[in-house]
Amino acid sequence: MTAGRSKTGRSLLLLLPLLLFLVGFFVWPLFSMMSQSISDTAVLRLLPRSTEVLAGWDRQSPPTPEMQAALMEDLKAVDDDQALGDMVRRLNSARSGFRTLMGKTTTALGDTTNPPADLVSIDTRWEKPEFWLAIADALSPLTDRNLLAAVDLGRNAAGEIEHLPADKSVNRVILVRTFWIAALVTFACACIGFPYAMIAASLSGWKRDLMLGAVLLPLWTSLLVRTAAWFILLQERGLINELLQTIGLIDSPLPLIFNRTGVIIAMTHVLLPFMVLPIYSVLLTIPKNLMPAAASLGAHPLRAFLRVLLPLSLRGVASGSLLVFISAIGYYITPALIGGPGDQMISSIIAFYATGSANWGMAGALGVVLLVATLLLYSVYARLSAEEPGRR
Amino acid sequence: MEHSVAEFIRFDRITKFYGPLCVVENLDLGIEKGEFVSLLGPSGSGKTTLLMMLAGFEQPTSGNILLDGTAINDVPTHKRDMGVVFQSYALFPHMSVGENVAFPLQMRGLGKADIAGRVARALDMVQLSALVDRRPSQLSGGQQQRVALSRALVFEPRVVLMDEPLGALDKQLREQMQLDIRDLHRRLGLTIVFVTHDQSEALTMSDRVAVFNKGRIEQIGTPRQVYDEPATRFVAEFIGETNLVEGVVDAVQGQEANVRLVSGDSIVSAVSGTVTPGQTVFLSIRPERVDLSEIRGDARNCLETEVTDSVYQGDHLRVQLQNAAHPLIAKLSRRSREFPPGTKVFAGFSAGDCRVIAP
Amino acid sequence: MPMKLTKFAFASLTILFLIAPLIAILPLAFTSSVILTYPIPSWSLRWFEELFTADAWRRAIVNSLIIGSGTTLLATVLGTAASLGLRNRALFFRGSIRTLYLLPMVVPAVVLGVGMQVLLAGFGLTNSYAGVIIAHTVVAVPFVVVSVTGALAGIDERVELAAESLGASPLTVFRRVTLPLALPGVLSGAVLAFATSLDEVVLTLFVAGPNQRTLARQMFSSIRENISPAIAAAAFLFIAATVLIGIVVVLSRSMLAKQR
Repeated sequence: MTAGRSKTGRSLLLLLPLLLFLVGFFVWPLFSMMSQSISDTAVLRLLPRSTEVLAGWDRQSPPTPEMQAALMEDLKAVDDDQALGDMVRRLNSARSGFRTLMGKTTTALGDTTNPPADLVSIDTRWEKPEFWLAIADALSPLTDRNLLAAVDLGRNAAGEIEHLPADKSVNRVILVRTFWIAALVTFACACIGFPYAMIAASLSGWKRDLMLGAVLLPLWTSLLVRTAAWFILLQERGLINELLQTIGLIDSPLPLIFNRTGVIIAMTHVLLPFMVLPIYSVLLTIPKNLMPAAASLGAHPLRAFLRVLLPLSLRGVASGSLLVFISAIGYYITPALIGGPGDQMISSIIAFYATGSANWGMAGALGVVLLVATLLLYSVYARLSAEEPGRR
Repeated sequence: MEHSVAEFIRFDRITKFYGPLCVVENLDLGIEKGEFVSLLGPSGSGKTTLLMMLAGFEQPTSGNILLDGTAINDVPTHKRDMGVVFQSYALFPHMSVGENVAFPLQMRGLGKADIAGRVARALDMVQLSALVDRRPSQLSGGQQQRVALSRALVFEPRVVLMDEPLGALDKQLREQMQLDIRDLHRRLGLTIVFVTHDQSEALTMSDRVAVFNKGRIEQIGTPRQVYDEPATRFVAEFIGETNLVEGVVDAVQGQEANVRLVSGDSIVSAVSGTVTPGQTVFLSIRPERVDLSEIRGDARNCLETEVTDSVYQGDHLRVQLQNAAHPLIAKLSRRSREFPPGTKVFAGFSAGDCRVIAP
Repeated sequence: MPMKLTKFAFASLTILFLIAPLIAILPLAFTSSVILTYPIPSWSLRWFEELFTADAWRRAIVNSLIIGSGTTLLATVLGTAASLGLRNRALFFRGSIRTLYLLPMVVPAVVLGVGMQVLLAGFGLTNSYAGVIIAHTVVAVPFVVVSVTGALAGIDERVELAAESLGASPLTVFRRVTLPLALPGVLSGAVLAFATSLDEVVLTLFVAGPNQRTLARQMFSSIRENISPAIAAAAFLFIAATVLIGIVVVLSRSMLAKQR
């Protein structure tokens, strides 16, 4: 008993460092990204007094003097311009007009020689409950705004979820494009990978080694090197165009780079090994005598393939397709380097929000969408590959 | 070459090379309709290759295979109409038992109702009707074997080919299946070509046994012929256990020959083939045909020996003997008396129980 | 026969598709021209010289080596310990823990990058070597776990029991039996961890500052901004390193195979 316990203790001790490391630097980052997408304290942390007073407001009647006084106090106390900017941006996105209103208000409040009596005296817009409603809503520390915006949804003035106007519906276009490109790449990989794996599995000796080596070498080669290589091949004066022009197939260079064609070609090249290897390993588990057996039972080779080999290898095709699709939807480098502006996938948009415009809320929200899609597909994949093949 | 009219399958001067390696060499073999022929031999002797060529999985390098008088070299496997039972059964793992058995009928475009009836009968024949919806992986080895058998028989093939079908079963099950298959053969009048490396299996089941060695047939005959009248040293050693003793032919009279052993003893023995006086030959003496006694008996052949070891093996007593020049083994009935090592005994056997084999 | 020909043509074309890009880039490393196109006017080593003398490239190479070594060390130690812990079949949540260990391979790099940047900013670890090494270790550790658990699974537990019955303490059993048998797996895990770090771009984009630019990061921005044959020279180094790594992995695999 003690021996068993000490063994368990030892195992736990060995497991613990990586567990802590991954919880700290893998799980936590993902959670903080998710919380970024739903947290919204830009307004709350600047307006503590207003928060108290607004809690007792009925959300309909015009602002009371206490509300105005509290907000004036809060605004006077703000000494961080960047935080103020964040708050104004947040409020303006909920209710347009806040930018000018706040600008006017803070200037007036800064005038110490002639302090305003109340907010309404600065601008009559402060009489309208809509603006106070916007502040009251923005005080909540949690928001679904980013998550909704990630799939092109938003809340109207009444708080109901609705589609964003078409000119703001960029994310859905990008999501659809991401899945479409991933699907095309998966399809291309399956069309090339399945016959390739079948031929490889039917060979032996150096021929098989050559075919597998041709798959493994790119897999081991740096992704950047492969992308750079395609850049060189596909560019306007690249090898492919030069070759086609030399043999007279085309007169002017084909546009192969910074467009969809280039992205699909390069991504298919990069992801093809993930299709070939699962199919190949499934094909290896299929007993060699099944096809002869089918033939001896009177099946024409084509029928034998359709009835025996194809159904048995579908599991490999499914795993390979999922693997390729999962990898493809998260791709960043290849579309970024080979694609044009119209080929950027969801990862590029996330990177843009995160590093380009420092909009962590939107970056996080789109990240959540991508993460959820990836994990869902992965759980299907894990179940598929854990399934024992139906034979001994 | 003249062939008998009743001959159903004929291998006509078949040669098969794998690269530089010759696995079947200029082989002739005829099989009659309704016959059960075993191809027996060690691994690599060419017996499986011959079966594969008959099934159409392999092409002979030269020579013809005739079925019912017509060459079938160019007929693809799926049109040959031969039921094959594979070594590891080759059941389709993604189909149920019923679907496996229905497969050859579907390939022949039979109607649904017809297929259902035939599948039911075929499974009934091997007592597996209850398992029709199971997957092959849910069956025991013996059950899988019987599914494979009924799948190979359900479409009433012209020939049934079996490639060591019982090799993966344990001994008891294997013996039961041997009897079952022999019974099916008799009941349905099947023509069966059966490949095995197990000599007792071949002897149990076959009408005729073809003994293979290095791509050639060493001997073909009934089980009794190949056991009692081995034509070559290889056959004598491969089938059953035997004592091989070297000697020189003194004289030949009809079907008997006098052979002088190195020890000086003279033995009278039956002869297969032709031998001439002065020739060096081997004598094959089956251990179970040797009798031991302490006095010189009235057997025609008698060797003076000493017991070196004696092992009780349940169903028989195995005695190791040594005469002046040769070791000898005798298998005695369980009821025989014990022979402690060192005992001087006479080993006796009749002329019909030993065989002269030209080397 | 036509079937055979079709198969042959298909296989050859696919092999060409897979391999040709990697081969096409190699000669360009030795061009004397400033543009990355064929035909090559004349041969020169100027781009390798550029790689090792130009400040940005030289620093990128040094950074890659520093970060790669740090990642390899950290990932190998953590991953090997964890794989040893995972051997205990009696453990609760063994499957879940294993899945967690492998998950960094699945999560899109950009998603992890966003989270990592938010978190490391909180610790003040952005723009530091430590931050980059931590980020790289997260994505490299699954390779070590896969490789080492594979090697450990191949060890016949009776060998360890035998050592114990012959009087070895658990620690001695580990040191004298388990570790030597698992060593090829640990080594190939370490190599894979290094390769992962070497090739990692996306996380680096998010967590590294200008002082931690790695070779891969430098290649990324130079393809994006001003592509030059220095890329081909860097690619040449990468491919050469890949072939070396491949040889190491194959050798350690065959070592592993021999032991079984």
